[in-house]
Amino acid sequence: MSRAIFIPRDGLHPVLDRLSAEMDVWVPVASGPQKCGGEFVRYVPGTVPVLERQSTTPPKRILLPQVESLLSYAYVKDPEDASRVKINLQAEIAAKPTVVFGARPCDVRGFLLFDRVFTGGPFQDEYYRKRRENTFFATLVCRQWDAACFCSSVGSGPADMEGSDLRLTPLEDGFLVEAINRRAHPILKLMGGEQPTKTQLEAAENLQKETTEEQVGTGDLTHSGDDFRGRFEDLEYWRSMVSQCISCGVCTFVCPTCYCFSITDEMQGLEGERLRSWDSCMFYQYTLEASGHNPRPSKFERYRNRIGHKFSFIPAKYAGMIGCCGCGRCIRSCPVSIDIRKVVENLKENACACS
Amino acid sequence: MHAHNPYLPELATVKEVIQETHNIRTLRIVLDDEEKMRRFVFRPGQVGQLSVFGVGESTFVINSPPSCKEYLQFSVMRAGEVTQRIHQLSAGDPIGVRAPLGNGFCFEELKGKDILFVGGGIGMAPLRTLLLHMIDHRADYGDIMIIYGARSPQDLCYRYEFDKWREGKVDLVLTVDSEFPGWKGRVGFVPTVLTEEAPSPHNRVAIVCGPPIMIKFVLFNLKELGFQSDQILTTLEKRMKCGIGICGRCNIGTNYVCVDGPVFSVAQLQGMVPEL
Amino acid sequence: MVIGWGTGYDPLHVTPVFLRGLEDVSRLIWNPLCVQNLTGYLVKGALTPPLEEGKKIGICVRGCDSRSLVALIQEKLLSRESLHIFGIPCRGTLDVRRLMNESGLSQIRSVTIQGDHLVVQNDEEAHRFPLERFLARRCLRCRHPNPVIYDELVYQPITPRTAPEDAYRDVEAMEARSLQERHLFWSSELDRCIRCYACRNACPLCICQDRCIAETREPRWLTQRVNLPEKFLYHFIHALHLAGRCTECGECERVCPMEIPVTLIKEKLNQITRDLLHYEAGLDPEALPPLLTYNPNEAGI
Repeated sequence: MSRAIFIPRDGLHPVLDRLSAEMDVWVPVASGPQKCGGEFVRYVPGTVPVLERQSTTPPKRILLPQVESLLSYAYVKDPEDASRVKINLQAEIAAKPTVVFGARPCDVRGFLLFDRVFTGGPFQDEYYRKRRENTFFATLVCRQWDAACFCSSVGSGPADMEGSDLRLTPLEDGFLVEAINRRAHPILKLMGGEQPTKTQLEAAENLQKETTEEQVGTGDLTHSGDDFRGRFEDLEYWRSMVSQCISCGVCTFVCPTCYCFSITDEMQGLEGERLRSWDSCMFYQYTLEASGHNPRPSKFERYRNRIGHKFSFIPAKYAGMIGCCGCGRCIRSCPVSIDIRKVVENLKENACACS
Repeated sequence: MHAHNPYLPELATVKEVIQETHNIRTLRIVLDDEEKMRRFVFRPGQVGQLSVFGVGESTFVINSPPSCKEYLQFSVMRAGEVTQRIHQLSAGDPIGVRAPLGNGFCFEELKGKDILFVGGGIGMAPLRTLLLHMIDHRADYGDIMIIYGARSPQDLCYRYEFDKWREGKVDLVLTVDSEFPGWKGRVGFVPTVLTEEAPSPHNRVAIVCGPPIMIKFVLFNLKELGFQSDQILTTLEKRMKCGIGICGRCNIGTNYVCVDGPVFSVAQLQGMVPEL
Repeated sequence: MVIGWGTGYDPLHVTPVFLRGLEDVSRLIWNPLCVQNLTGYLVKGALTPPLEEGKKIGICVRGCDSRSLVALIQEKLLSRESLHIFGIPCRGTLDVRRLMNESGLSQIRSVTIQGDHLVVQNDEEAHRFPLERFLARRCLRCRHPNPVIYDELVYQPITPRTAPEDAYRDVEAMEARSLQERHLFWSSELDRCIRCYACRNACPLCICQDRCIAETREPRWLTQRVNLPEKFLYHFIHALHLAGRCTECGECERVCPMEIPVTLIKEKLNQITRDLLHYEAGLDPEALPPLLTYNPNEAGI
């Protein structure tokens, strides 16, 4: 069986139509009145994928929806004892086969962290695990990066296929799609497409090689844990770095590696649901305790925790893995243009503490 | 399938409610599944997430001893939304519970040692489970001393069983913040009483739980008495949601209070980032 | 301390700077890329360490920002005496996202203003962009380019580009559409909201900050769900709390990562405030905003 196909540029729709008839297919599309932004949506015939630029929001919500029901409950009268009320409890864990078509290496890298957090600890998050097992990533070899991108600085790169199942290499007249693991073979078969020519295969290989050698972002942010610990109590440092922060949740919501969530109950009448929803460590309420005590009362402690989590705590917990994929979304979407790279780079002792 | 879903609570029923103080109630709950109730095992110091469906979940230490197979006991101080609703529950009401969670006390390592419990207010709850476990296995432990204080005599929890504790050969020192008519115990803050009692640190482990300000001064005074930081254990509280080390909020640096705690030695805390 | 603008992660992106000493002054810049309204920093507990008693704080404001100051002074959230205001007549700021998107530029080395053009130098060559084409929507409808309150005016005052009667032409254009079209428009726009609350936190007049009713559990107006009704409700709570107070600085719209034109909702409320109550927010420090008072003989309603 062939392990690669070629999709001509005008042949993308038939391929996605075929795929989406069998499974959920998510693609990045342009959004917003000016069509500057982009987000991943469920493909239906007619959807126009935009593969030429990074989406504003990552494909995070495909595996970790912004809100989902963990369980539902209902208060019911006990049929054997009318004075008693019982609870009917239900938890449904379901996942459809899904393909994410056109994510970038940085987008997928977020899920490598999710895998460890949700399925690598003492407790398994079945909701995530089931979706993850049913999801395939067809990932682009990335050729578009801007001043906010820095995937090479966090140990990845624009052609990094770790965590992906299929590789999409953009060629002049279309895409070369290769299966990079066995589980991707049925997907490739379903896609159809053309047999690639030798020229196309060579062109793709050259582009992959060239892209692998690219250095996106300067510097190395992968060994910052000790520097972070050294700066932890240097409040003046955090003030000088993030006085601009307005404590909104943009950086966390557009981040492919931010997964922290809240759990809240909602009820109408005698029935309700327990919801899991994205939360943001930038919010005051995130760590606010019922007593009124808050271990991270100001934006400085909160931002410090964000940096610590990504560049110190996660690497310490997961064998050096950085909790940042270098996609640059937090920089690009930040209302006040805070640059996370600078905050991490300047952690090093003797670095100038002023921005 | 449900057995594997760590977010799914076990259904349980409130068996008994005890009004401890004006804002603390103790709930004794029984798992609806009799087999699970019989087979329920936990370590002293482990916690449970109590669910009031429609309101939410909160974390409380299981304060019954592991030997008690009839019910699980939780003491709840009224503070936020969930605790307010828990206080409205009465015997026969349904409740959900996810337990046991957290690390609990390494009581095996405490065998053969003298023990000092220092508790304040609701902070006696996590100490009670370990204390009762030690009384159950009294021969395994040396001298046991408890210094327990609250604002007033009416703010002391578990008053109805102090005599039983004493029967277990436990030196119980009670203190309240100021004089009250009829009060025969000590008067003064817990840290001061600790210094006055001056228990020897030799072969002893101190287990401290109470309000942050009390802990702060107790730790200071313990050091003055010669306790080393690996001789002092305490239990921490944080805002928690998942309780299983995933949702991300209860971390102190690399450690999650919900799975790596709530029990930490002071030596461990000193190795963590200072963010309590 | 003086709050102003400085260069951010590349020359197209500006970031607020907090000048603490003379040595910091060289970081200060002013150009059409200085997009942030800085006045929120004065009221949202953001200043650490807090100001010393009796010491003034300096702040750079454009016309629109100065109106935020007026509103904050009116509501006694700021005292005029504590401020030293550097007023800057402003010809408009750019929609940086649109500029980036349409130009496709990256690796930018420098940015200069030459007459009516922005000149962007990248690795290869210089690119010229007419400022007018990339002005933010808020600036295209600006009626107060000159600061209404200041201690020092940095440049000469300029003529407003929009006449008062044209102030709400975007609202009027929206209202010219059918009800069904409008419903469709707002449904599809607000559906993109990710509830990151950037619009709220960037707003200098959204002063509840950490006590916002959108996040409280008691009372619980909103759940964590991300469906359309919740998003609608959030944005209308936001807008209604600003009715007659909003100075239309447009920050809520600028900061929205999903590019939702949320200022339009506030513009509509301001249009109503103008027509019914003959009031325009943020112009007169002595005036009392109509919804902060009660007049049983109110003529407008």
